Amino acid sequence: MSEALATAPVIFEVRKLTKRFRGLTALSDVTFQVSPGEILGLIGPNGAGKTTLISLISGTLLPTSGEIFFEGQRIDGLPAYKRARLGIGRTFQVMKPFPGLSVLENVTIGALFGATEGQERKRARAREKARELLEFTGLSRHTDHRADALGGPDRKRLEFAKALALHPKLLLLDEVMAGLNHVEVDEVVELIRKIRGRGVTILVIEHVMKAIRNLSDRLLVIHHGQQIAQGPVAQVLKDPQVVEAYLGKRRQ
Amino acid sequence: MKRQLRYGGLAAAVVALAVVPFIVSDSLVQFGINALLVAVLAQGWNVIGGFSGYPSFGNSVFYGLGSYGTAIAMAQFQLPFWLALLLGAVIGTIAAFVFGVPILRLRGPYFAIATLGLSAVMGAVVANVPIAGKNIGLILPLFKGDRLFYELSLGLLVLATGIVFWLSRSRFGAGLVAIREDEDAAQVMGINTTLYKVLAFAIAAFLSAVAGGIHAYWITYVDPAGSFEGSLNVRMVIMTLFGGPGTVFGPVIGALVLSAVSEVLASKVSTVASLFYGFVIVLAVIFMPKGLLDVIQGVRTSGVRYFGANMRRFRL
Repeated sequence: MSEALATAPVIFEVRKLTKRFRGLTALSDVTFQVSPGEILGLIGPNGAGKTTLISLISGTLLPTSGEIFFEGQRIDGLPAYKRARLGIGRTFQVMKPFPGLSVLENVTIGALFGATEGQERKRARAREKARELLEFTGLSRHTDHRADALGGPDRKRLEFAKALALHPKLLLLDEVMAGLNHVEVDEVVELIRKIRGRGVTILVIEHVMKAIRNLSDRLLVIHHGQQIAQGPVAQVLKDPQVVEAYLGKRRQ
Repeated sequence: MKRQLRYGGLAAAVVALAVVPFIVSDSLVQFGINALLVAVLAQGWNVIGGFSGYPSFGNSVFYGLGSYGTAIAMAQFQLPFWLALLLGAVIGTIAAFVFGVPILRLRGPYFAIATLGLSAVMGAVVANVPIAGKNIGLILPLFKGDRLFYELSLGLLVLATGIVFWLSRSRFGAGLVAIREDEDAAQVMGINTTLYKVLAFAIAAFLSAVAGGIHAYWITYVDPAGSFEGSLNVRMVIMTLFGGPGTVFGPVIGALVLSAVSEVLASKVSTVASLFYGFVIVLAVIFMPKGLLDVIQGVRTSGVRYFGANMRRFRL
């Protein structure tokens, strides 16, 4: 690890994180740091362990070994809801709206229970904050629609709005662009930039290469649960190991 | 203005209900007590089943423990009713914490089956406890005052509905609804799901236990088969679903309407009453799967087509 990285301020750090499901090692010895305001892209083939990593960070899964630090505090033993209140928000790859509630109520719940500083304990105030976020994510015209009536792209936006309502400092985005067309991908990239502009640190899993290349400050590549490369985007994408993981070996 | 009108109407309805026992016959008052108590059970089920989405088939356990707690305190320790009722409520609520922590880890049908098992086993357990009168049960001191029991039951129903009203607009209630809609998502949005579920279960248990205590003193005896009757669970679930789960007044309306229906059927067509009762429920499931309150709203916006839309939506 370079000198510059070691001295840069760190908001979030993962040390030798390992997760085994019975015999299957989903992640082994993953180690990285994230600076405040950074966008770290997390890539790797299907089944590499990317979503597992996000689940370990958000607390829906507990690690087999290793440590996770957030703002200097060790969090790998905390339950998911406490991590959310510290300011770690996530979206789900398989989106999880509250289907029977209105779009507004969906986001309001995040504002009611989120990070302590941004939290609104009164429903009316939380609703106001939720309206603001619907505006921000471009969902205003769906305010009173049921969440399960939304189409694909708008569901993604709802995932964003819900996660943002927590007032997160670290946002974990799990394949938010999957299934979107070019125009929609560009819109989401724009949205992620806007969120970073608010000072949120972002960890983003993505398969859409063009988007992740545009978006990320650095890349982390995972393959079969192993961390195979880490660093500036251009350098990582040229890495022979990474190319092999994605495209396979060149025939001799 | 509209809100004031609504509250005024509500207060008038409660007052009207409170005056009823001074006008009608004794048998109607007795029907009223039963209907109000079962409405409390439905409202309690609404907290855990309707708001939190955990379909409990074991609330009868808390009802039974409330009955027995009250009965033991009065029959074995000669405590006054108020104290005994409180004791029964405490026992029921503690039981909810004890059983709730492990059982509420289960989801959906698994939770339902576990609670069903609990309700099946509890009567047998109590039937072996000497202080609870074993198989025979206990006799409570006689107190004749149907009107008092009626007013007590009404008061409890008002309290239960007040709690649910608070749920419908509080942060806690929003948390429960989030758990019902998607528990994983609720967790990562900062909701302490375990605590919330257990508290919801405890509220349901408290209300059920108090209802049980009032019932025990009213009928002046408890026995394992009667106090831990499993069919009570099905009744409160049906009534809540009939009225509208997750709403403030749905369970009350559902319980009162269905109690009346089954009472009328039982007196008019006694032998096949339960057949008709079943028929009413089947019709309700087909034409108004989301409860009576939803019907009122749906018919207002889309008229008769509301029923057709329901049938299409559920592919019937």
